[in-house]
Parts: sequence; structure tokens; C-alpha cells
Amino acid sequence: MFQNIHLEKITGLLKYKSGDPLLFNTSLFLILFFLFLVIYNLFKNNKRARIISLIVFSFYFYYKSTEYFAAILIVSAVINFFFGKWIADTENFSLKRIFLALALILNLVLLGYFKYTNFILQAISDLRGTEFNPFQIFLPIGISFYTFKALTYIFDIYYDTLKPTKNFLDFVLYLSFFPNVLMGPIDRAADFLPQINKESFISKEDLGRATFLICSGLLKTVILSSYLEDNFIGRIFEFPLRYTGVEILIAIYAYAIRLYCDFSGYTDLAIGISLFLGFKIMDNFNSPFKATSIADFWRRWHISFSKWLLDYLFKPVQISLRRWKIFGNIIGLIVTFFICGLWHGAGWNFILWGLYFGVLMSIALFLQKPKAKLYNALRINNTKFLRFFQIIITFHFIAFSFLLFRLNDLQIAKDMLSQIFEFFHGKVALQFVEKMPLIFGLIVIGFISHFFPVKIEAVIKRSVTALPLAGKIILLALVIWLVAQFKSADIQPFIYFQF
Amino acid sequence: MISQELKKVILNELNLDDFDLQDETIAPEVPGWDSLNHVNIILAVEKFFSVRFKSYEVLRLKNVGDLQKLLDSKLGK
Repeated sequence: MFQNIHLEKITGLLKYKSGDPLLFNTSLFLILFFLFLVIYNLFKNNKRARIISLIVFSFYFYYKSTEYFAAILIVSAVINFFFGKWIADTENFSLKRIFLALALILNLVLLGYFKYTNFILQAISDLRGTEFNPFQIFLPIGISFYTFKALTYIFDIYYDTLKPTKNFLDFVLYLSFFPNVLMGPIDRAADFLPQINKESFISKEDLGRATFLICSGLLKTVILSSYLEDNFIGRIFEFPLRYTGVEILIAIYAYAIRLYCDFSGYTDLAIGISLFLGFKIMDNFNSPFKATSIADFWRRWHISFSKWLLDYLFKPVQISLRRWKIFGNIIGLIVTFFICGLWHGAGWNFILWGLYFGVLMSIALFLQKPKAKLYNALRINNTKFLRFFQIIITFHFIAFSFLLFRLNDLQIAKDMLSQIFEFFHGKVALQFVEKMPLIFGLIVIGFISHFFPVKIEAVIKRSVTALPLAGKIILLALVIWLVAQFKSADIQPFIYFQF
Repeated sequence: MISQELKKVILNELNLDDFDLQDETIAPEVPGWDSLNHVNIILAVEKFFSVRFKSYEVLRLKNVGDLQKLLDSKLGK
């Protein structure tokens, strides 16, 4: 009887559970991944077995998030594999374009049905003033990521910069590859496919980099993200009117660093895990809060996505409207950032968030020349002084934009701003530091580590690489232990400040 | 090999005195050649050489060498 209960528990853990995806920072994933690595290495010299084992594990991983909707991956793989082939095979340019359009439509219908049906129907019925009962449509997480991944394959074949793969399984692996199937990076087929047929080999440098990334990913996602969210940010954002402006401002800063740590931490884990499997996938973040302008921010934040938008959406619009000069650029920017917002979620707040950047970057286009003149006249061009202020100002534009990103109720955003402007009470900051040293400390650590000079980060990476294997394992175990402490810690009671 | 004329048009558009443009040079390596400025360079090249590129042709360019080849094909070289 005891044995039965035990088995049931294990099968229960291994089965799909709604709202409980197999995230990289969970102990279940770490155990399963370790077991998988053993099997994967057994197939080291058998390419086919290695690839099949990786596909099977990837589908299991995706099944844990989406149950039988994991089959969408197969549908998407079939569509894109064959359209890729047809686009490449036809010499007739008009036919090529028709295949491209059909592939685009099918991909967008697949994505649109699951993600945007209710949103679009709701908007239509709002316009008509009628009532709408949303349909029960399951949202398979990751669909936006792998649809965009698949489209890189289609576009690159269309532009004739990539030859289609002849091997369907290779393409299935590209699409379903578990490290980036849920949250990116939106790796390019052109970079990934050639790696499948290479020897699975991990160099000492890669092993060091993988260890470093997994450690940083765990620390970022658990300590600097989840812990800060549960114990501080979440509460302030829920009832901002209970807090002073200064606390809200600290929460907005903390949310910026939390969002970065959550997403970039997950990316670190994805890249690190891929390295263990012998694959290099593209970087996604480059210290985005060091950006000196909004455009610079988008070159550093969610790079795989912003580069996708640049290559496959902005440039085609911009080039086809090039005779409109600056207005072609502006239309390109607005369209691109509208899609950027919508891609993040089916909500008006996301659309507004995207348009906010489109408008800011369009304004920046007009200010480019006067700004350069002003900086030259003041002789501050390329100075540290100017850079410092550019970074501070850009950061504030970004941090405040995240209010839109997070809140679909604009009233809460308004409340937060009104508290900052009308009920600031700067002195409360001292009480905050005194009463919540851990939270404050984590926010400071988050920002300091973000602004670390690249050189220091390189030294840390080199030191991790130089560690012997046992040292790397001990380091990883230490980080897992530390993370487990934070995970198991009770939610900290929040201290209301009285005035 | 990048022709002197093409080099001149590009550097002029970017306000650069000199830059070693090679076949393999890609836009981000050249100061000022960003995604917003890219369109101005394409327009300047079209205007100077009195040619007209198709959007598809411009979008598949990977480096300056590709631009030179595209230009040569338009000029019948």
C-alpha cells in the first residue's frame, strides 16, 4: 500500500497540471534534466538517437505546460517545414510571394486563434455596444515564441539567405527545443539548424559559461525576482493608495529590476541548459538599463525579439516606404511597436505600452539633429556627464512604461502617479531601509550587479571557468541551496508605515 | 571590392571622413550606420547612381559587398 501511494505521487508529479509548467528553477526540472543528461550522453555517438531523445524530452517538457495542446508544435512544424520547402523550390517569384503570404497567414491564424480571438471579439462587441461572453480558449504558453521562431525560417528562405533543411526531424527539434520553447530566446533557424549535425561537444569555456549562467539565472529568477515580488512589489501594486509616493517610487524601480531579473534570468538558464546539450542559442539581454536612449534600450532588451521585429517587420516597412523619408521611418516605428505591444499580450495596456515606445522613438527622430547641435554647443558630446544623465532619463522612461506593462487597470497606474506627485513623503525612505533591510539590500544588489562594468563580469566568468569540475559542482550546489532557502522562506509580513 | 564612388556616397551620408569599407563589412560596424539611417544610405545610393532597387533586393543584403554586387547588377557591370 505504501508503495502504491508513493508511485501515485510520482506519476501525479510527472503529469500535466494546469498552471504548473516545468520551469527551470524548480527542483522537479533539475532532477529530470539531470536524468535526461545521463541518457543524452549515452547517445553521444549516435546522432539520430540523440536528436530523438531530445525531441521526446522537449515534447514532454511542453506537455507539462500545455497537456495535449503540445500537438500544436507538430502542426506548426508541418506547416513551416513544407512551406519553407515550397518557397525554396519555386523559381517563380510571384508564386514564392504567394507561398510566403500563405505561410504567414497560417502561422498568424494559429497564433491569433489561441491568443487573440476573445480580445478581438470583445473589442468588436464593445464598439457595437453589445455584450460578449468570452469563449473558453486554452492559451498554450510559448506559442508566440515558437511561431516567431518558425517565421525566421520562412522569411530567411524567402530572402534566399537560408537553404531549407531536408530533414523534418531537425526542423521539429529546432521548433520544439525545450530550453527556448516557453520563453525564448527567439533563436534563428539559420543559427540553430547547422548545429544539429555538428558533434555534440562542450568545451571547458562553454562548461564554465553554462555554470555561470545557471547560477546567475537561479539567483536572478528566485531571489531578485520572485522574492522581491511576493514580499514587496506585489503588495504595493495591489493597493498603492495605502503607501506613500516614495515607497511607490521604490516599488517602480524594484519592479524594473525584477522584470529584468525574471526574464533575463530565465534566458540565462535557457542558454546555460542549451550549452550543456551542446547548443549555442542567441543572447537576449545586454544590461538594458545602461541604455542611453530608448533606441539603445531596444538594442539591449529582449534582443532576439527586437532583432526579429527589426529584420522582419520594421525594415520591410521602412524600405518599402523609403521615398517618404522620415515619415516612412515613423510609420515603420509605430507599426512595429504596435505589434510589439500586441505580441506581449491580448490587452489594451500592452498595445498602449508598445505605442508609447513607437511615439517616443518617433519624437526622438525629430530631436536627433537639434540635440546633436545642443550637445556640441555645450561641449558635452561623448562625455561621461552626458552619458550619466542620458542613462538616468532613459531608465525613468522605461521604468514608468512598465506600469502599463503590468497594469491592465489604468486607474491603479494613475493612483500610483498621483501618490508620487502629491503624497511623496521622502522621509519614509529611511524607515523603509530600516524596517525592510533585506528587501532594500536586494534592490541595491540588483542594480549594482546590473551596472557592473563588463570587465568585472568577465573576471567572474573566467574564475568560474577556471574552477575544476568539483568546484563547479560545489558552486552550483551552493547556489541551489541558497535559492532553496529563499523559496522555502515564508512570505515576509509587510510593515505598514503609519503617519 | 567596394568601388570608390560607392564608398564616397556611403561615407558622405554618414558624415565620415574615412572608414575602411570591405566586402564583409556589416552596417553595425560602421559608426552612424544604424537601422534608422540605413534607409538614407539606400536612398543616397539610388539617387547618386540613378538606379532603383526592389525592396526584396535591399532586404536580403547582408553586407556592403552584397550592396556593391546589387549595384553592379543594376548598372549592367
